[in-house]
Amino acid sequence: MEYFIQQLINGLTLGGIYALIALGYTMVYGVIQLINFAHGEFFAAGGYVGVIILGYCAGKGIMETHPWLCLAGSFVLTMGYCAFLAVGVEKVAYMPLRKQSRLAALLSALGMSIFLSNGLMLTQGVFDKPYPGELFDGTLFEFGLVSITYLQVMIVSMTIVLLVVLNILVFKTKMGMAMRATAQDKTMSSLVAIGSNRIISVTFAIGAGLAAAAGIMVGLYYGSVRYDMGFIPGIKAFAAAVLGGIGNITGAMIGGLIIGMVEIFGAGYISGQYKDVFAFIILIAVLYFKPTGIMGENIDDTRV
Amino acid sequence: MKKRLLSIVVMGLILIPFLLTSVSAETLKIGSMSPLTGPYAADGNDIKNGVLCAIDVITDEGGIEGYDKIELFPQDTACDPKQAVAAANKLINIEVAGVVGAYCSSSTIPGSATLAEEDIIMLTPASTHQDVTDRGLPYMFRMCGRDDAQAPAAVKFLKEALKAKTIFIVDDKTTYSQGLADGVEADCKKNGIKVLGHDHVNQGDKDFSAILTMAKRDNADILYMSLQNHATGSLMAIQAKRIGLKSTIVSQDAMYHPNFMKVAKKAAEGVYVTYGFTDKTTTAYKKYEKKFTAKYGEIGAYGTYAYDAATALLMSIKAAKSTDPAKVKAELMKLDFDGASKHVKFEKNGDSGSSYIAYKIENGEYVPFWSPIKGFLK
Repeated sequence: MEYFIQQLINGLTLGGIYALIALGYTMVYGVIQLINFAHGEFFAAGGYVGVIILGYCAGKGIMETHPWLCLAGSFVLTMGYCAFLAVGVEKVAYMPLRKQSRLAALLSALGMSIFLSNGLMLTQGVFDKPYPGELFDGTLFEFGLVSITYLQVMIVSMTIVLLVVLNILVFKTKMGMAMRATAQDKTMSSLVAIGSNRIISVTFAIGAGLAAAAGIMVGLYYGSVRYDMGFIPGIKAFAAAVLGGIGNITGAMIGGLIIGMVEIFGAGYISGQYKDVFAFIILIAVLYFKPTGIMGENIDDTRV
Repeated sequence: MKKRLLSIVVMGLILIPFLLTSVSAETLKIGSMSPLTGPYAADGNDIKNGVLCAIDVITDEGGIEGYDKIELFPQDTACDPKQAVAAANKLINIEVAGVVGAYCSSSTIPGSATLAEEDIIMLTPASTHQDVTDRGLPYMFRMCGRDDAQAPAAVKFLKEALKAKTIFIVDDKTTYSQGLADGVEADCKKNGIKVLGHDHVNQGDKDFSAILTMAKRDNADILYMSLQNHATGSLMAIQAKRIGLKSTIVSQDAMYHPNFMKVAKKAAEGVYVTYGFTDKTTTAYKKYEKKFTAKYGEIGAYGTYAYDAATALLMSIKAAKSTDPAKVKAELMKLDFDGASKHVKFEKNGDSGSSYIAYKIENGEYVPFWSPIKGFLK
């Protein structure tokens, strides 16, 4: 039982991270029907900007005196930076191709992904960068096999907060309404004075901001970042978005949690080498019975 | 018109390499194969820099008669068998006199098979799988030790020095890491150490919480990490510490890298690794250390072996006064010198002996801890 609870906590943490990344895929797909393969790289860039800011804090000694201020500052600055990065990428790589076939934009996304990850390698080096996060180390609760660390609590609660904020933003504000309108019909929404370019930029910015937050959390949780860290979580989060029904926000959250849980329980109860296999078996099984994903609707009325 | 211009430009680009190679006729060309991109890029660049360092030293000492300069053609294998074969073919086309590489056993084996078709000498600084030299290729040499020597040394260490009764083994399924883990498992069974579990993770995984929870439940004396590289190892060590695993962590040569401790920090303390013994007080090592750190930064795990491999190759070419593989091989077999990593003397099959000892990480340093011959070193 203790073993089960510990694996459940492990799964929740991993699932939360996947969910945050999956949201970016699903939101962008919802608005412009593009699978943004460069999204994993926003996550990696977030991890790096976070380590640079936290490293600066640690170097200046601010980390010792105001650890939470440093952490909050790094989250805000990193999410902001990645939001700008994503808007830039969208303007350079996707906007000129918007009238072209979807395949062109997809290839452009793949190219952007390779470009960004190699850019990270060239500027930041090939070695892993350690995260200065010892201050947040520590165990909150320990009972037999079960141990919950502060970082796990932080990741799960941060994920919940971000998801709630996102839901309010999309479903309760005017901006969110505009996003949903653009997702349903770009031409029609532009007729009622919703600038679709602006909405698309905002969507990219929010998605990348969430991925950047996930990047810092992963850096803190695993203790290091590397230039190619975006690739595998990117693929998993994409699978999570598809599993949940691509284009659907709640679906992406559920999909992320399912993929994270299945991986951990697959590894914990059967064997670590098949954990990816289990994740993708679930994906195939769900898509076989419900091709649009768990929460997916007909392709025609996808929404943000 | 546009099309023609384009085709002319393309033709021009295709011709550039030919122009480059024909200009530098007096250059001794040697190749290196290692992963310069991808997850093992750190180790791969160490190897490339080790070879470059050897070239620097030989050039400083007067170079090789008949050649203006020595040029390295570093190839990226990305630890991928297919890319290793492509890299080997490329080196064949460049007509290199010899190759230092590769890193992963799984790329050295197919890569050397390709080079063997053209009788090109290959010295691996890092591939420890037994099949690298056991296939009977005439021009395959190895500077590091063998897995079938490392596994018994590790198990002897576990039994005699750590008095281990139970063990949990994790590997990441490469030719090298799984081969070694299987060797350790077999040897443990022979020596009465109970194997509580042997599980695998995938290359590129970051999250080991599930498997470490399993190890914590089984609570073995030892967690044996057989992983392809130090980056994965540092992640696993950190997570093991966070999850509160009480087992002693023992690992292998891939964890012998300064970055392992830089990333894992406190979690690396008390970890044991088996690695070939290198006497860091010899003049040969000091000379290498000075040259390497001045130009290429910190010394990694396999840079030293790559340096020795390249030195051995260049010395033999110098002595043979030829790049004819048979003559160079004859000189290689005659070699008997103190390299930076160890005393170099090749055996008939191309191996150069293994000298595995156990190191313990203390205060961010690899401290020689136990040797299978001498016992405790402190």
